[in-house]
Amino acid sequence: MSDLDVKKRPSIFKRKDVRLTGFLWVIFSVAIGYFAGEVQTRSMGAPASDTMATTINMMKVFTWVSAPIAGLVGALAATTLLSKLHFGDTPPEEADHEIRNSPRIVSGWIVVSAVLCLFAVVWGMVVLQKDDAALLNPKSMNVNVVGQQWVWNFDYVDNGKVRSSDLYLPVNKPVVFHVTSKDVIHSFWIVQMGIKIDANPGYLTETSVTPNKIGVFDVRCAELCGLLHAYMQTKVHVVSQADYDSWIQSQGGKI
Amino acid sequence: MTTVLDHPTSAPGNSAMKRPLIERLNVFTAFGLGIISAIVFWYLARTFLPENTEGSFIKTRLDAVTIIAMLGWFFGFMTGIGALIGPFRWLLGKDLDHDESMFYAGKDQGIKRYFRYTTDHKVVGIQYLVITIIIFFVGGTLAMLIRMNLGHAGGGWLQPQTYNAIVGTHGIVMIVGTIIMITGPFGNFIMPIMIGARDMAFPRLNALSFWLIVAAIPPMLSSFFFGGISTGWSAYAPLASQAPPGMDGYIMFIVIFAISTMVAGANITTTVVKMRAKGMTWNRTPIFIYGVVASVALALPVFPLFFLSQVMSAMDRAVGSTFYDVRGGGSGWLYENLFWIMGHPEVYVILIPAVAALMEMAPVFTRRPLFSFNTAIMGIAGISGLSILVWAHHMYVTGWAPLLNGPFMLTTELISIPTGMLFLVLIGTLWRGRLWMTMPTASIYALLWNFMIGGITGIYLSDVPVDGALHGSMFVTAHFHYTLMGAGLTGALASLVFWFPKMTGRMFDRRLSWIAFWLVQIGFNVAFIGMFLVGLAGQPRRVDAYAALFNQGNSVTTMAAYSIMAGMLVLLYGVISSWTNGAIAPMNPWFAKTLDWTVPNPVPLENFEVLPVVTSDPYGYGKAQS
Repeated sequence: MSDLDVKKRPSIFKRKDVRLTGFLWVIFSVAIGYFAGEVQTRSMGAPASDTMATTINMMKVFTWVSAPIAGLVGALAATTLLSKLHFGDTPPEEADHEIRNSPRIVSGWIVVSAVLCLFAVVWGMVVLQKDDAALLNPKSMNVNVVGQQWVWNFDYVDNGKVRSSDLYLPVNKPVVFHVTSKDVIHSFWIVQMGIKIDANPGYLTETSVTPNKIGVFDVRCAELCGLLHAYMQTKVHVVSQADYDSWIQSQGGKI
Repeated sequence: MTTVLDHPTSAPGNSAMKRPLIERLNVFTAFGLGIISAIVFWYLARTFLPENTEGSFIKTRLDAVTIIAMLGWFFGFMTGIGALIGPFRWLLGKDLDHDESMFYAGKDQGIKRYFRYTTDHKVVGIQYLVITIIIFFVGGTLAMLIRMNLGHAGGGWLQPQTYNAIVGTHGIVMIVGTIIMITGPFGNFIMPIMIGARDMAFPRLNALSFWLIVAAIPPMLSSFFFGGISTGWSAYAPLASQAPPGMDGYIMFIVIFAISTMVAGANITTTVVKMRAKGMTWNRTPIFIYGVVASVALALPVFPLFFLSQVMSAMDRAVGSTFYDVRGGGSGWLYENLFWIMGHPEVYVILIPAVAALMEMAPVFTRRPLFSFNTAIMGIAGISGLSILVWAHHMYVTGWAPLLNGPFMLTTELISIPTGMLFLVLIGTLWRGRLWMTMPTASIYALLWNFMIGGITGIYLSDVPVDGALHGSMFVTAHFHYTLMGAGLTGALASLVFWFPKMTGRMFDRRLSWIAFWLVQIGFNVAFIGMFLVGLAGQPRRVDAYAALFNQGNSVTTMAAYSIMAGMLVLLYGVISSWTNGAIAPMNPWFAKTLDWTVPNPVPLENFEVLPVVTSDPYGYGKAQS
């Protein structure tokens, strides 16, 4: 028997600290995924469009995907904190090893983070592509949005000369917004539908959405636009097609 | 060793009889001359500039006068502090003689050297430390005003105009404070000692970079009297173009500060590249040095753009150009691009040195080597490289170039890979270490926690469809506070406690450092998690009033903000009391192995009597296994 055999350390998965970390990792990952996912999606409220539903879903999945990473870092950190801590003016004795690197761990870490990163990118691209394609949908109705300090105006260009300061939309009909501004940069944001596009003076920008729920929702300005930025908000009334048609007629527009 | 430096002809009392100009200039003459010069310039501009053209949409006179007066302040201040003495000598074909150089270095001047154009890097480091504390005090006070306003149900305690000015000033003040908070005090005081140098490569540029910041602050603060910076710190055109002359204060501040950053960046980079001690090869150079160099080297290419964006803004306001005015063929998108090409690397300018400083402390407080030094360097280099390619993720919803959203989403999310490397290095160093629990050690854990939250929320925001829902909301505000404050400031406060003994010769009061740590960290997490929630629920950024729906979240955030304030005040008290009568620090209180702990307290003027020779990296902790 040589000294080497006596000092041989147990296999890595039998070490106490490694087992503790593994145990904490599972708990932390599930806890982070569940609580972070739940809390965030609950705060975002009920979606009023598919766009918002997809967004909420994406956030949930991102949370679950990153939970094991965050959980692992947390578990490793917690394990080190559960070891013997030293307080005082003089240092504790030196650690019982001088490990400076582990190519296996480093390369494994990089590969895993690269894979997760690519997953996020690819999935984001797919959804982005869908959102962009919606802009070109020929069945969409068109609304021109004009921001100015500190009100929104909506022109229903498909229905003649109708203008309103509250936005009215028929449910389940795709709509494309053509957005511009009269003075400074504003940002047109329908909170519960998860869409946002800046209103720039001198340029037209576009975004689209299909509202899928009847109700009253919020439009807020999301770009600081001066004195009354906080008050630059209005409502979206999503109504049935019939109600929408009668509202348009009451405003003197044609269907 | 000082006898070596004494010039044979400098007899005592000689200077008292006829004090040369160089000895009469200090911060008071600078302020005096600056104010006088500002008034003279203001008067001349007012007298000789033409009136606005009748009927034109371009009204330039007021801004032109304001900017000229501020330039007057700037030139007067820099002359009054003595920044021009050297350049003038060169114009005359001479240079400072030995006595004057020694005077510039602050030799034998006691506390007065801190109020002069002093070139000694240790003096500059202390000056930076004090100005950083002052900047944080101002920015923190403004933050508390913001929270007080939003703590009322529905907000609206302050006038909108006042509130907007406070938000903008808080933003820019804190950005500047966090940019200089590590590379300023510790990059100047500690870095040259750590690499075994006697001073910086360009000591006079070092003094210049500091006094430029001092010169830049009054124009910015004066803006409160001229309508304030009511545009947020990003100062987008055309909102900035219609803002009152307070905006000119912002512009001058950025222009001067950008010069200061570029000067400091060139200086620090050169110092590290050229002046490391014999034997300090790149793989024996401490990781903190890498962090500082990456930070300032990253600032070098991007701050000229910040400078330019503001010069163009000033021209739009003062001479009637239309770079950003669509009526004259310009575009607000041009400003947004210029701004964010600087603006995104800038957050890594803040973050990288903070993480690197904690990496420097990790081996000291775990008594084992830094885990995977190469990965740390890869992480820092990867972040620096990628960060200049991601700026348009701030512009996903601007409509500027929708087709570029995909590519920018790719580059942005790639940053998570080098960022993950930094996590690996820290957690790998903690693993199986012998933990010496001090406030800096706890800060490593706090950074892991905060930066994890900041990082993951960053992944949401980097995704274009999700950004469509969250952009411009309080969620974004909370996210970047988690990175800049939760990670950046945590690293800076740990650095303060860690290097306090070397910089002041006294230990930082341990109890106070712990109290401050817990007050700040707990308050911070409660405050900004509350802010995440109101952001998710749809509260926009930079609003002085909000719907009743957000009452609860905002009052939680405000209450927790008081805890942060209390913690920072405890820390400030700790700085003052420890500095004046803390325990005298030994030469190496942390038993660390970098060169900065091998010089005595107080650090002698030329740091090292004999320049050191380095034979290994500074992480040789831990018992060798048989």
